Amino acid sequence: MRSHLLHMMLYSVIVSIFLAVLVRQDTRSRIRLGLTLWAAMVGGALALAYLMYPFPN
Amino acid sequence: MSPELDQRSDSQRIPKTLLAIVAGWILPGLGHVMLGRVRRGLLFAGLLVGAYGLGLAHDGRLALRDERQPFLSTLQVIANAGIGPADMLARLFVYGELVYSLPRGIQGGAKNEHSETFRERTRSALSIYGTAYVWTAGLMNLLLLFDIWDIGMARKP
Repeated sequence: MRSHLLHMMLYSVIVSIFLAVLVRQDTRSRIRLGLTLWAAMVGGALALAYLMYPFPN
Repeated sequence: MSPELDQRSDSQRIPKTLLAIVAGWILPGLGHVMLGRVRRGLLFAGLLVGAYGLGLAHDGRLALRDERQPFLSTLQVIANAGIGPADMLARLFVYGELVYSLPRGIQGGAKNEHSETFRERTRSALSIYGTAYVWTAGLMNLLLLFDIWDIGMARKP
């Protein structure tokens, strides 16, 4: 798999699930934290990429 | 409960907890299973083994200590070693022997079998992804060892 976006999303899934299960004890708050972390990682990376787009390589 | 009794129960917990920590380092998730957190342990095992396998399949770098960057390269080796004996097996497979540092005197352009293997993997288009998976799996397992300590010492529900 060579897609940077797919790797980023998959990596975020693994890290989000790991941290959510590690720091929360009940299923509901695990799901909430996991989704928040995943959205923050993927959304943050996309926002940063969008902001950097005008800069030259 | 008196402080003396607390102290004694803590000291009784330590051997079992340390054993679980060693088991957790040898096989991610096993420490949690030993402490009765079976589902949690199996989930962690799946996540970590999956991440590590993905990393190796994508030419993840197995860090070698470099005298020119001793601090950073040592941290990288520690991150790798966090996954346990799987790192040793991966090094045996990739480098042909259990190697953790570049030989003395290997500088920028100098060649050596291990440095060449290392550079070859680094040049791979997939290495950037693989390295993230491999190092993260090691770091996550190190975090799990602290979690095992907290569970074993009854500091976490």
